[in-house]
Amino acid sequence: MTGTAPRSCPAVYYDGVTSARHHVTIALAAEAVIIRSADGAVVDEWSYPRMKHMSAPEHIFRIGLRGTSSLARLEVTDQDVAHQIDLACPDIDRTGANARAQRRQVIAWSFLAAISLLLVGAYGVPAIADRLAPIVPQGIERRLGAAADTQVRAMLDKGPEGRPFECGGASVEKAGEAAFEKLMDRLRTAAGIRIPLQAAVIRRDEANAIALPGGHIYVFRGLIDQARNVDEVAGVIAHELGHVAHRDGTRAILQTTGLSLIFGMLLGDFVGGGAVVIAAESLLKSAYSRDKEAAADDYAVKTMLSLGADARALGGFLARIAGTNGKGSIFLDHPATQDRVARINAMAPPQKGGATLLDAAEWAALKRICAGYR
Amino acid sequence: MSVTEAAVAGMVSGAPSRPIRFIGADKDYWRILVRGAFLLMVTLGLYRFWLATDIRRFLWAHTAIDGEPLEYSGTAIELLQGFLVAIALLLPIYTVFLITVLDLGLIGNLLSGFAVLLLVFLSQYGIYLARRYRLTRTVFRGLRLHQTGSAIRYAVCAIWWWSLTIMTFGLAYPFNRAALERFKMRNTYYGDLQGRFEGSGWRLFARGFLLWLLVMAPVLAALSSFALVDWVAATGAMRGGGDVLGRMERASPGFVDAVGFGIIAIVASFILALLLLPVFHAIVTRWWVSGMRFGEIVAVSHLRTRDVYFAYLRFVGYVLLFALLLVVGIFVALFLIGLSAHTASSEIAEIISVLMMVGIYVVTALGLSTLYQAVVSLSVWRLAAESTELSNTERLAHVQAAGEASSPLGEGIADILNLGGI
Repeated sequence: MTGTAPRSCPAVYYDGVTSARHHVTIALAAEAVIIRSADGAVVDEWSYPRMKHMSAPEHIFRIGLRGTSSLARLEVTDQDVAHQIDLACPDIDRTGANARAQRRQVIAWSFLAAISLLLVGAYGVPAIADRLAPIVPQGIERRLGAAADTQVRAMLDKGPEGRPFECGGASVEKAGEAAFEKLMDRLRTAAGIRIPLQAAVIRRDEANAIALPGGHIYVFRGLIDQARNVDEVAGVIAHELGHVAHRDGTRAILQTTGLSLIFGMLLGDFVGGGAVVIAAESLLKSAYSRDKEAAADDYAVKTMLSLGADARALGGFLARIAGTNGKGSIFLDHPATQDRVARINAMAPPQKGGATLLDAAEWAALKRICAGYR
Repeated sequence: MSVTEAAVAGMVSGAPSRPIRFIGADKDYWRILVRGAFLLMVTLGLYRFWLATDIRRFLWAHTAIDGEPLEYSGTAIELLQGFLVAIALLLPIYTVFLITVLDLGLIGNLLSGFAVLLLVFLSQYGIYLARRYRLTRTVFRGLRLHQTGSAIRYAVCAIWWWSLTIMTFGLAYPFNRAALERFKMRNTYYGDLQGRFEGSGWRLFARGFLLWLLVMAPVLAALSSFALVDWVAATGAMRGGGDVLGRMERASPGFVDAVGFGIIAIVASFILALLLLPVFHAIVTRWWVSGMRFGEIVAVSHLRTRDVYFAYLRFVGYVLLFALLLVVGIFVALFLIGLSAHTASSEIAEIISVLMMVGIYVVTALGLSTLYQAVVSLSVWRLAAESTELSNTERLAHVQAAGEASSPLGEGIADILNLGGI
């Protein structure tokens, strides 16, 4: 401290015990600030290392004490004295330079943490789900499947009252049902799946098939209607068997849970953050899903090849019902059809007159598996 | 200091005076908010603890009662810590519920209903604890405020009152506010000076009933017009394509008129609600401030409705300006997307366009909320503070210290359940 600098000034002092406002005079000694009341008596002495700077408007320099629960405060409005105290106290940082530096670090680390969470979402969550899914007990998977099954039925079964949702029950459908069971049996044996399956053809017009956790497989009637031969139907079912074997339903649930934990809980509690969370989650989920679809296609090809059936039928059928013009999109849960066809054809050699999975009569019966109700 | 002098000039013993001043500059608050909004985006929200602390420090430090500015002594690190503790406590609860729901089928479904109730309970519990944290970090004249009372009891009361409010379409709101404010203020202390709340639910009811009627009457009209429709027949006719409306009209005559009237009525109600929002805001704030007591200190609010209206009008002006900037920004963005579509692969172009869409949404949402805080919230804070008359302020000089600093856990719970307040 230089000799010319002001060394004392009036200040406001609160002792932290009562709310009384004390108009005091402070003097800057070598080791401490000495606080004197109007009559000159020493009220308190605050040593420089104990003082810390407290939040206040710009024109007030408000000081408290560190390492105590007391809220005693000293308020200095003389800017020169405030500056002297700032210089004398190692921990007081009135200009806020230290705080700013600290905050810049926090921002940088938060930014890195956000990136690291995104990376965990992109690579960590699917890897964890892949490893957890196979060890989820069968019983739990069956319950998951039952829950999903109830929902799917409620969503898909829009038929009139009394019409069975599943095909194969009416007398004209019995032969078709037998053919379907035979086909399922051959595919399952070839694939070597030990999980008990609950497969059925359902009365829906779309050309589609779905697999739920716990071995539920639903083939939509529209798929059988549009198929030109049994290998096309078998290819699609083998693809769904791939989902069952890979336990993709359970994996999807694990992945969704993981993502919603990462994004829902840790991030995004700000206005508009919800959109970031939804976009990130749906992008990542679609990416996970495209991987699973490609893996299920591979599985279908292998199964069909092991049966000696036409593995390329799946690709041809896909191209026919979906068209090959559709471009890939990062929001689609399936890869682009042309990529799927190319991948299938690369794995499966062209086949002429392969094994017949069903004979002509059985195939005709399967075509009529939903003939009982329209 | 002019602030101090003004306050001292108004200090005649026992006489009412308007000793609360707001001495903050708008542009400083804007800077905090705009920088904060930007950093929130960059850090995916992790900056929120620092932003909340900055906002509170600014508002507290620039609100002077009787010439003495308040002090907010909380830190962002404390908020972060509260958040982490709350995660540690809530994560296992979430997990247990997830597992039980998977394991138990029907009972699991019942349990998930219970889980929703538990979340509602926890959020009210967190709100009360968070209030305690904020109060104990508020220092005035060398003493802190504090809050007693059981957060569990508060949560039960709050759930009861909010259910009643929802079931009565908002008619119970005045009694809800009065009961909960009584609970909170009765447990609020400045040092050893106990607070209380003397606002009456009936009074707020009387002030606000006309507003309620204006907003709800069109809704009731819409509901009664919907009630005239034979919904079973109409939904039955929905199946199939083609002229759906025509078939529904034939199945339930008057269907199209009823639905058209209902939609117009609901839109009218919505517009009325927007127009009346500033009035509602002013009425509730005036009633709330006028009900506050600390010992002998009595508050009376002279907040003028038209001042609140002007604040909202300025907000609308800023929103229009912001919308203009946004449209320009979107055109630039579209131009860039167009460029990238030619040069880059389709996948990269798609990623860029998704990023831009999400970016535009986030900028819009964050921008609107920032404008609201910077214009409406700050104005109402300033107006409410400066229009408040206090009696017996000399009592403020004779308060004894009491209360301890509380943990930031409640803030953490509220944060996880997305209930961040100021």
